[in-house]
Amino acid sequence: MKRRSFLSWGAAGFVTLWSAVGVSLAAVVRFLTPSVFYEPPQAFKIGNPADFPFGPPTFLADEKIYVFRERDKGFAVASAVCTHLGCTVAYFPSDQKFHCPCHGSVFVSDGSVQHGPAPRGLEWFEVTLARDGQLNVDKEKVVPPAYRLMV
Amino acid sequence: MNVIRDVWQSIVRRDPLSTDKGKSELVFLNLWLHIHPAKVKKEHLKIKHTWYLGFITFFLFLILVTTGVALMCYYRPQSPQAYQDMKDLQFVVFLGRFLRNMHRWSAHGMVVCVFLHMCRVFYTGSYKKPRQFNWVVGVFLFLLTLGLSFTGYLLPWDQLAFWAITVGTNIGSYAPLVGKQLRELLLGGHSVGESALLRFYVLHVAVLPSAVILLTMVHFWRVRKDGGLSRPVWKLKQDQAEALVTIGVPGDAPALTVTTAAKDKTYGLMEVVTGKPIFETVTAEEEEDVVFSYPYAFFREAVALMATVTTIMALSLVWSAPLEELANPAKTPNPAKAPWYFLGLQELVSHSALLGGVVAPALMVLALMAVPYFDTNPSRRPADRKWAIRVFTIFVAINIVLIIVGTFFRGPGWALVPPWVHIVAGAE
Amino acid sequence: MERRTPQVFFVLSLLALVLILAAAWQANTPYWKVYQRDFHKLEAQGEPNSLTKAAVLASPPVIHQVLLTGLQRVDRCTTCHLGVEDPTMKNAPQPFRFHPGLGPHIPSKFGCTICHGGQGLATEKSDAHGNVMFWQTPLLAKDYIRASCGRCHKEGDVPGVPELTEGRHLFETQGCRGCHKLNGVGGSIGPDLTTEGASHRAPEWLERHFLTPNAVSAGSAMPNFHFTKEQARALTYYMLSLTSEDMGSYYSSVRLIPSAGHGRQLFIEKNCIACHNVGGVGAKTGPDLLGVTKRHSPGWLDEQLVNPSLVYPGSTMPVYDLETNARKALVNFMATATAEDAQAILSQRSKTLTPEDAAIEAGRQNFARFGCVGCHGLQLQGGVPNPNAQGGEVPSLLHASDDYTKDEVIAIIRNGKVPPTEDRSKPAPPLYMPSWRSVLTEEDINRVADYLWSLQKKKDSW
Repeated sequence: MKRRSFLSWGAAGFVTLWSAVGVSLAAVVRFLTPSVFYEPPQAFKIGNPADFPFGPPTFLADEKIYVFRERDKGFAVASAVCTHLGCTVAYFPSDQKFHCPCHGSVFVSDGSVQHGPAPRGLEWFEVTLARDGQLNVDKEKVVPPAYRLMV
Repeated sequence: MNVIRDVWQSIVRRDPLSTDKGKSELVFLNLWLHIHPAKVKKEHLKIKHTWYLGFITFFLFLILVTTGVALMCYYRPQSPQAYQDMKDLQFVVFLGRFLRNMHRWSAHGMVVCVFLHMCRVFYTGSYKKPRQFNWVVGVFLFLLTLGLSFTGYLLPWDQLAFWAITVGTNIGSYAPLVGKQLRELLLGGHSVGESALLRFYVLHVAVLPSAVILLTMVHFWRVRKDGGLSRPVWKLKQDQAEALVTIGVPGDAPALTVTTAAKDKTYGLMEVVTGKPIFETVTAEEEEDVVFSYPYAFFREAVALMATVTTIMALSLVWSAPLEELANPAKTPNPAKAPWYFLGLQELVSHSALLGGVVAPALMVLALMAVPYFDTNPSRRPADRKWAIRVFTIFVAINIVLIIVGTFFRGPGWALVPPWVHIVAGAE
Repeated sequence: MERRTPQVFFVLSLLALVLILAAAWQANTPYWKVYQRDFHKLEAQGEPNSLTKAAVLASPPVIHQVLLTGLQRVDRCTTCHLGVEDPTMKNAPQPFRFHPGLGPHIPSKFGCTICHGGQGLATEKSDAHGNVMFWQTPLLAKDYIRASCGRCHKEGDVPGVPELTEGRHLFETQGCRGCHKLNGVGGSIGPDLTTEGASHRAPEWLERHFLTPNAVSAGSAMPNFHFTKEQARALTYYMLSLTSEDMGSYYSSVRLIPSAGHGRQLFIEKNCIACHNVGGVGAKTGPDLLGVTKRHSPGWLDEQLVNPSLVYPGSTMPVYDLETNARKALVNFMATATAEDAQAILSQRSKTLTPEDAAIEAGRQNFARFGCVGCHGLQLQGGVPNPNAQGGEVPSLLHASDDYTKDEVIAIIRNGKVPPTEDRSKPAPPLYMPSWRSVLTEEDINRVADYLWSLQKKKDSW
């Protein structure tokens, strides 16, 4: 009897200990999950609509986006990240296409692939008008290429 | 069900723990447990003899390694990012503050426990033959613990850290001939700066922990080989004491004979080769005082582990590790103090740089290492070692008093100020 | 005893479980989450669409932060101050209220602590507002926040902050540089003020210090200038704006461009036309600035404005201590400057300067800028008490030419002079003439002497 209670207390101790270890491991996973990011935010303001010219898109290098502004059509924002392996594509006004420097993918100006290894067209991001009148881009929200914001 | 049992059996590969064979196999078929003997003498388990201080020190080290690795994920050894990372741990990282607190309090606890463990080993005479060299290994582990604490102290890169390390490394620079070069080597420059931060980081997370792990292995292995945990041999009954094979005295000890082996006992190779053993051996007469390590020894160790962990956790919930303002090399706080375990040294240095900063600590360390070789008195009974105990107690008391004076009685300009006098810092 | 060991083990394991759960709970319930929930409720109030409403209410708690990479700052204030950029929140309770009147200084680009102080990294109110030990820049009191404008706007008038202009003007005319260095220019008797705004001194302390230096800093060698309250406030504003952080150029690198208009204002302020001309209009001491931006690169011009004699050995142009943005603005102005514009600038001045007048004017400016007036007085009347010096006060310079030759005066300026002690048993006089050799060039020293002698001439003619 004495021996039994000895061991059952011990077993209860081990079960509790392992649950504490389990909780701790979960806590460590949560600890390692970043709660702040030291990188550009995914949703950001890019300035007033009037800051952007008509014609060829404006490239924002830090945000890696192209901002299109077309008369009577409004604003659209394209990702400058190649869908193949993540290099930054360059827009050539001469042929009005995006060229990827890494593996030669070429995207036409609506973002779809013309040739090269890229699996999909360039992504388009939602652009909205913030309450303070600035353009707000959210990279988390992908929209169809036809999406336009009229200002 | 069979599969589960088979898998479990393939992992543990032992008989059920209800059998004696299973209890033995639990120990010697398991890499992590086999440092234990399968059976221990009851006196080994006496709390009031060892106070489990060695275990507690080791457990604190385990906490330090786990929390330390976690903290490394959020730490950049650069200025001023290091400081900002401390703030992030405090303000945005889930449990960041808690883990940093655990790391800090365990570090202080380890310095204290290593020291207490050393005192315990001295007072019980456990450094005597054949354990002389293990004491020396222990002194090295003590120094490594101080080194780990000291290098870790700089990493938060706040005023406290910066100036404690500035003062601390300057104490070392008083060493003749090599002091200045040593300091430059340690700091990677002439003063505490970015390169010092990086070097301290490397020492703190790679070099010193590896050294501690290696020496701890040696330390544990020797304890085991030298007869296991310390026990109060002088309290054994006369016949028991006589039954002990004389402890490690080459020459006089009776050689082991095969007659001992006749008593249905398994012996390792070292016990059947002819010659004189230099370690304590179990003789048949003691069998009745022997218990299986499982469960008796293991549960006590588990209790020591959990007591250590819960104490540190409770402390970390309640008290936060200090973080002062960002390190500012242009502005020395007054007084600028080294970490508390070096305040005794700083106190000595304030009287004489060379004597206090170099000669005294060097002599202290050398004297500590020489203890088992000078103290040739074979008896471990406290009554037979009055002088050794007196001298050591004075040594301990001096150190504690110096640290207390340095910590609580030194104010701005290192002037003697009792802690109950509140000093209003003068407006600049 | 033996039997209790597993029981103790169980209890301690349970305690460990409880403690880790307690720690997790503590870490999981910061107060900013309560604020965010309240804010979402506030947002949802005016929301007609029930789906959007539910989405708003269900928004997960997140820490918001503004990264000011170039300034090594991270501001997390918007984690609780959620409505600062939202005009519809202008009547919301704090911490959600809209911040009006910010113009282009939107918090998500500029951060908050650069103006307000406080601990941007913190996510707890008491820590964030900086009223904690070891955080030395707590929130600036309401009366002093506008001083922060001067941290970027280092030149010219800042709209709405006349105190800064006044403070700068006082600093350059009351001889502060005689004792204090600012950006490497000035004396060494008092502390260097280059980073005074980052020195963690309370604004109230500074203000009281300007009114009565000895009151807050016992034994201070700083004389009492008998500033008015407004002047003390202005100087405090100026001091608070002096940080070593190059905020102006950080923000200009991300969005602001130094304008030629600002450069023109500086051109007038610094009296460049006293030595230079544009297309022949102005003085001929220095080179013609018409087309100077075509002859030299912007980098060369910038260097020239930092330290003229380093770039152009033998240059007699003084060092002006211009902030990065100001130098850029001047270069931009020079690119557009015309002779007609120079004429307009000249006609604003009461008379055209001859080269001699220009030199004397430069001497007068040196006299004011480098702090001679601090001891010798704005009207050169002397009279600042200097106990135990002969006469007991700093001598007047109105009669310098009666007692000394010009060369002797130049030597005194160059090498300094310790006034003779009246009573050897008492402490030496606290004020002495410092050596200006390292601060002023020979040319500058000669100009100061010219200026002193020019005053002498006027007196003789009376």
